Formats: sequence, C-alpha cells, structure tokens
Amino acid sequence: MHCNDHHHENKNYSRRDFLTKTSLGLGALSLGSMISPVNAYGQSEFLNLLDSEKMKLPHFVPKAKRVIYLFQSGAPSQLDLFDYKPKLNEMFGKEVPKSIIGEQRLTGMSSGQNSFPMAGSLFQFNQHGQSGAWMSELMPYTSKIVDDLCFIKSMYTDAINHDPAMTMIQTGSELPGRPSIGSWLSYGLGTDNKNLPEFVVLVTKGKNGQPLYSRLWGNGFLPSQHQGVQFRSGKDAVLYLDNPPGVSSGIREEQLKSLEKLQRIQHADIGDPEILTKISNYEMAYRMQTSVPEVMDVSDEPEYIFDLYGEDSKNPGTFAANCLLARKLVEKDVKFIQLYHRGWDQHGNLPKDIKKQAKETDQATAALIQDLKQRGLLEDTLVIWGGEFGRTNYSQGMLKPDNYGRDHHPRCFTIFMAGAGVKKGITIGATDDFGYNIAERPVHVHDFQATLMHLLGIDHEKLTFKFQGRRYRLTDVHGNVVKEVLA
Amino acid sequence: MLTEFLDFLGSLHPLIVHLPIGIILLTIAIDVFMRNKNNSVYRVITMGWFFTFFTGLLAALFGWFLGDNGYYFESQINIHRWSGIALVSLSFIIWVLRYINFRFSKPFNRSLNLTTIILLMVTGHFGGEMTHGQNYLFENLPYIEKEISLVKLSEAKRSKADSLMVYEDLIHPILEEKCMACHNQNHAYGGLNMSAFESMVKGGNSGTGIKKGKPYESLIYKRVSFPHDHPKFMPPAGVPLSYDQIATLEWWIDNGAEKQIPVTSVRNDAKIQRMIEIQYGLDLKEKTFLETLKLASPSPEMLKSIQGEKYFFRYLNPEQSFMDLKFTKKEINTKDLINIQKVKKNIVWLNLMDCMLKDDHLGYLNDFPNLTRLKIQKNPLITNKGIEALKNLENLSELNLYGTRVSDAALITLGQIQSLKKLFLWNTRITPQAIADFKAQHPEIEIVAGL
Ligand code: HEC
Repeated sequence: MHCNDHHHENKNYSRRDFLTKTSLGLGALSLGSMISPVNAYGQSEFLNLLDSEKMKLPHFVPKAKRVIYLFQSGAPSQLDLFDYKPKLNEMFGKEVPKSIIGEQRLTGMSSGQNSFPMAGSLFQFNQHGQSGAWMSELMPYTSKIVDDLCFIKSMYTDAINHDPAMTMIQTGSELPGRPSIGSWLSYGLGTDNKNLPEFVVLVTKGKNGQPLYSRLWGNGFLPSQHQGVQFRSGKDAVLYLDNPPGVSSGIREEQLKSLEKLQRIQHADIGDPEILTKISNYEMAYRMQTSVPEVMDVSDEPEYIFDLYGEDSKNPGTFAANCLLARKLVEKDVKFIQLYHRGWDQHGNLPKDIKKQAKETDQATAALIQDLKQRGLLEDTLVIWGGEFGRTNYSQGMLKPDNYGRDHHPRCFTIFMAGAGVKKGITIGATDDFGYNIAERPVHVHDFQATLMHLLGIDHEKLTFKFQGRRYRLTDVHGNVVKEVLA
Repeated sequence: MLTEFLDFLGSLHPLIVHLPIGIILLTIAIDVFMRNKNNSVYRVITMGWFFTFFTGLLAALFGWFLGDNGYYFESQINIHRWSGIALVSLSFIIWVLRYINFRFSKPFNRSLNLTTIILLMVTGHFGGEMTHGQNYLFENLPYIEKEISLVKLSEAKRSKADSLMVYEDLIHPILEEKCMACHNQNHAYGGLNMSAFESMVKGGNSGTGIKKGKPYESLIYKRVSFPHDHPKFMPPAGVPLSYDQIATLEWWIDNGAEKQIPVTSVRNDAKIQRMIEIQYGLDLKEKTFLETLKLASPSPEMLKSIQGEKYFFRYLNPEQSFMDLKFTKKEINTKDLINIQKVKKNIVWLNLMDCMLKDDHLGYLNDFPNLTRLKIQKNPLITNKGIEALKNLENLSELNLYGTRVSDAALITLGQIQSLKKLFLWNTRITPQAIADFKAQHPEIEIVAGL
C-alpha cells in the first residue's frame, strides 16, 4: 500500500523528482511554490488527503475477494457461440442492409470488399437451463451450467484492432503504459497471501495468434511489485526463481539479508520508493521458492477432478491445466489470476477453427466454475470469460455454404461472468436482429471494469494514482457500474 | 326543497364573486387616475361603490350558503367569510358617505382605497386556498423547490425504514391532512369519524368504512377513487388524494388493512414499493445484516493477539471494523483460537480451512456475534459433535463444511441456525436422501453438495 513515498516525505527526492523540479530552473521552482502554498516539492495537504482515501480500502464490503479472468485473446465469434441470430440464417448470403452498417468504420482487411454477405452461424443453437439461455452446440459443457452464468451480450469497445482493444480491456486505455486491472487491484487491496504474488498470469502454451505483450499484465506507473507474475508450465514455473547450482537455501537467505541492509541504507539516503519495492520483490521471490512448486504440484488431485477438467488437464500448460491451477491459486487466496488463451482470430475458415478453439476451452471453463462452486469458492471468487471485441455478421472473404470468416467487430460482443456478487442465470443487453449493433443496454469496456471493481469493494472513481501531474484511474474519466449485474 | 335551492345559489358563489372584484378595481382606478374630478366623474365613482356593495352582497350571501353545506373546513372558511363581509360593509359605508356628499380629505380617501384593496386580497387568497389547496400560490413559481412527496416523513423516521408502519406512518398522515377536518369526533360528517382507527373501520351512516382485504367494497376507498366530479367524491372540496396516495391506500386495504403492518412488507410488490420509495423518500431495499451492523474498530490491544505469521486478516469496510480473518498455518491449537476470540466481535468472515481443526476447537467459536461466513472445510476431524457449538452463531449465513466428517445428524443442528442461507456439504458423510429432506424442510437454505 506504500505507494510513491516521496509524495509524503518531502525531504527525499527520487531522480525523477529532482529532474522535474530543477529542469525548468529556479524560476519554475518559485512559481511552483506560489501555486502550491504548502511547499514546492511535496504535495499540498489537500492532495495528501486524497491519497489517504486510498488507505480506507475497500470502500465498501466486497462481494468478491478474487478474480479469475479467462481471457480469450483474438476475439471469439459471439455469433457462433452465444448470440443467436436466426435472421442471419434466413438471409444467408444476402448483403448486410446499408442501414445497419451505416457509416461505421471497418478494418482495412474487409473494407475493400465489394460485397458484405451475411453469414448465419453454421452451428446449432439451443436454449438451456431454467434461464433458457441460448448457446451453440460448440459449448456443450458450458451450456449445462448457464444457470450459474451472467451473460452480457451488449459489450462494446473503442478499438478495432487486437492490440489496442486488448490494452483497452486490460488497462482501460488503448495506449500502452497504464497499469492493468490486476495491478490496480494489487495496489488497491494488497495481498491476502504473503507467499504468493497478488497477480498471477497463466498463458496457454503452444498457441499461435495475436502476440501477448507482458505489458498487458504490467504495472504501468504503479510500483513494480504490483505487476503480474507469469507462471509457466514446465520445470521453472517462474523464471530465475531457483537458486543457481551450488547455492544452498541458507546461503541465499544470508545473501538477501545483507543485500537488504545495503538497500535500506540507500533508501535512507536518496529515498527512491522503487528501492523498497525491490526489497519486497526479493523477499517475495525467496518465499516463492517454496510456495510456487507447492501450488504448481497437482499430483494429489484425485482422478475425478482431472476427468472434470478434461483430458488436457493432465498436460501442463494447456488451458485446462491452467484452469485447474487457477483453482489452486484461488484456494491460496491469490487475488487476480489472469489466463490467456490465444487463437480466436478467425478471419477465414471460422467453422473449422472455432470448433477446435471451443473444444480446448469449453469443458475446462465449465469445470472450473463447478469446481469452485462445490468448494464454496464461487461465493467470493469472480470468474470472467471473454475477449477484446466481437466479430462481424458478414463474411470476410468468400461466403460458402459451409465456410466463412469474420472480421473484427468492436460494436458488440458477448462476455459472461459467474460467481461472487453476480446475478445467476441472466442475460443483460441485446444486439439487433442482425447481430451488428446494440439494441439494448450498451455496456462499454469501462462500465465492465467499473463493475468488476465494484464487486471487489472498490469505487472505481476513488482508486487513483498520481503520475506526471495528474491522477489516473483504471476507468480514466469514464465508466458506470452495471447495476443489473449485481446480485 | 329550500336547502337544495340554497345549495344551488351557493354553487353560484364562484361565478358572482368575480363581479365585485372587477368593479372595485375599476372604481379605484378611476378615482386614482382621473385627476380632474368634475361632477360626473364623482358620480361615476359613487356608482362604482354602489355596484361593488350590491354584487358583493350577493356574493357574500351565496358564499354563506355554500359554506353552510358542510363541504369546507370551518378554520379555512372563517377568514374568507369575515373578510368578505368586512369588504361588503366597507363598500356600503363608502357608498353612503359619498351619497350624502361627505367631503373626504385626500389622505383619508387614499387609506380607504388601500384598506379595500388589502381586504380584497386577503379574501381572494383564502378563497383560492379553499379551492386550489394550500400553497397553491407559490407552487408553480420557478426556483422554489417543489414538494415531491405530499406527506413528509421526518429524517429520523426515514432512516429507520424497517420500523415504519403502513397505517401509522403512511396512511394516517394522508387521511389526517385530507379528511379529518370534516371527519373527527366533533365534526363527523356522514357520521364518520376517521380520527380513530376503529371508528374509521366501522364507518358512518352508510355502514362499514373499510372492509379488510376488499378495497373496492370499502366506502373510504370508493369515495376517494370516484371521478372528481362525482357528487360523492371525497374530499368534497380542496385537493384530492394523489394517484400514489390512492394506490397506497388500496394496497393497504387489499393486504388486510391491519393497523400493525410494517412498511417493509411492500417488498412483495415491486410497483407499490417503488411508488412508496419515491413518495416518501424511503429506501426499502432489504438490508443484509452487515449493511445494518455498526461496529467500532478493534483496539490495538485486541489486535496484538492476532499479530504474527499465523493469522492473516484484512478489513472489509472503510471504518476498519469488519474483519476477514484466516489462519495460515497447517495446524491450529487451542491457544490460537483463544487469540482469535479476542477480536470475535469484529470478525465477520472467518477462514479456518485445512488446519486440523478438531471438534472441541469449535467450542471456542460458539459466541462470535457478528460472524456471517465460516469456512471450516477440509478438516477431516470435524464431526457432528463439533457442529453443536455452531448453533449459537446468530448471524451465520454461510457455512462451509466440505471435506469434514459430518453426517446426517448434523443437519438437525444446522437446521436450528435461523440465519443460515448457504451450506456446503460436498465430500461429507451426509446422504443425498438427508439433503433432499433438509431442502424440503428449509427451502430458504441453499445447499451445495457436489456436482
Ligand atoms: C370538507 C369536508 C369533508 C372532507 C375534507 C372530507 N369529507 Fe367525507 N364527507 C363529508 C360530508 C359533508 C359527508 C356527508 C355527505 C356525503 O355522504 O357525501 C361525508 C361523507 C363521507 C363518507 C360517507 C360516510 C357515510 O357512512 O355515509 C365517507 C366514506 C367519507 N366522507 C370519506 C371521506 C374521506 C376518505 C375523506 C378524505 C379523503 C373525506 N371524506 C374528506 C365532508 C368531508
């Protein structure tokens, strides 16, 4: 919780402080002290007061203590999975009406097409559960648990390409450099487990598709201890965590202690808060030497649990194995677990490719939610499934009776959530009959983020961090909590 | 026959009453603006005062008949009646004085004019208040905050929505404002006295006032929901009940017209709930136990006992009084539990999963007054015996027992926890049959017992 200390202790300056305060010369310095009467270097009392607000987190009793975000990178086709549009099948091959697309922007990949034939999904849709949610045959396992889910079918975003859209939904801005959701939560709420990071990232191995940059789980301008830590499958779950050959645990401990002494001296001298972060990172790494192998070890999971998650779950690094791991991390009170599963970017050959994609994720997703539920963990864990935007109702490239592709579509997409504080068995929002525009209850990415924060007991307008002269927050200056979601 | 004729004349009052008003104003205007008062101007003014007096007399007379039919409150009539009569008398005196050519000094003349205008305004205002309701004058002024709820609840009452009563706090104030001036123990028009609950239910000359459960057969409801121009519409004069007020009355009668029914019982009817919330500025949403709980944060002294590696806690509210505490080690002992007990008042969530918790340990948890969520799953030493201790947890709503060795008999104990809402029983010795029976008995408790 100790953020930029230098804002509070005005006798210490970091290098950055020094440069910003002196580069404009003494004139600027005196101007600064005229504007801010408290003093020229530190913040005014007023701003300190605002920062102390942060100390009172959570802002209200939270519903969720932890989040598992099953991020489907590449943008899964909502029209083939959740958003049932019989009209598109009726009008299969006909042009999308002009009135529907209007003047909206398309990507460079399909804007040159001289025809935009509507592609109804080739997959069968059915209603499931008591809630009667529509699901396609691609997700037989998830279909069975729809009464535990809350669908938002009217999500929309600003960006039309993967990287900005992913950056947007993960950090609240299209431009890189802001802290990700997990970092904000780590910064705002602190840890619930001293031996593991608050924010863990698991990426499905061996998948191609849109690149994942580590800045998607980066801390941005927050202190670096709040960044996501990637756990990999295989021998070294966290890179460079193990002691080098020949260095015993005792030697390592002594080494770290001496290092800390030196670092404390340095901090007393120049007061850069990043030094404290460094100390805590070293400490955490040391503790993780035992805690990480422990949590990564699934050998005492019973066979029926592997059956539940599917055969992939025995193969480390698959989505299913990561889901199982996510459950184990949740049991250890890790606050934010971010999974990434790539390969949903089906511009062509969609029917064939999406089948494979769905198969890789469907069973394990449903299993995770059920497993959390039977353990009572769904009471305080929020599970989210979704991508960065949606896909077009028209075919990119040639439309064939048995094949089509879909381009990027930021105007609408579907995500679903389950667990803590979220209504069960409901669908929020709707798209028009063509699945192109939103017809009911639009939910912007910032609204979704505000809602997520709300579930964790945070008022998204109050959790801020001052950087480069202004206060930032996850939702920047936007976002409204989607009350309909709250149980 | 005669009374009906007089009633008819009475109803002409609002028509006639505007004649003298116009004439007075015209007369005074001539008096003020015609500087050069030759003889004929003087005579016109004198004649003006005569017509003022004459039409005023008619208006007053008809007004008397109207006031006499019992449709107006005495308190409101009085000022209007007597200032009107004063006005008529004054105009008579002025006319007589002018008629006998009494010489007015200029200041005296001016003060007579002024007195007349003041009397006119007073009479007119109170007349208006009777037909348009109190506050009619200012209610459409811009910049004046409009009263949305017609009946005001005090801030103190509003904050305690849970203790409000439909009759006492919502219905009675409406009836008091709109009906009781004419229906009280002294003036019980139609034989109906509404000031006491019992006499109101009993009704007046025409019989039962309120038939419980049957709004459309209740005279009181019928009379306020008639078309406004119906001769039996109540209140006969003044501002009628608003749509929301009538709906509230209807809901109340429909639901048994009990004297002691709490406002929170409108929760079974979303529409009326919303209406009442807006009308009275209330928030009737059901509050969870934690939303109503007020606690002081634990003292540093108390916190000392749970410092160290073994315990981990965080606060759940900005007041830093609700604690979520977990035990972090693999094996718990009696001393640890005694330490945790020190902050028992503040603990609302407690996690003692997977730490070799034993039956007799649970005895230390039996008086955590504010504990709502207890996780003791994955403690295979826990049996039915230990569960006994939990039945005193008054506010426990969620209990996780998966991976313990409790069996069917534990359900009998658990059924006694009134506040329980959720129970996790996966991987225990409880049989599906016992769960089915329990569910039938306690439909309000959700049970999760595996897939
Ligand atoms: C200005 C006086 C006045 C007010 C105010 C008034 N009433 Fe009356 N009410 C009367 C008179 C006079 C009668 C008798 C004549 C009649 O039956 O219409 C009467 C009769 C009734 C009766 C029939 C009693 C019987 O058994 O015959 C009911 C019921 C009644 N009023 C209800 C109400 C209600 C409810 C209100 C308030 C919303 C109300 N009244 C307000 C004057 C008033």
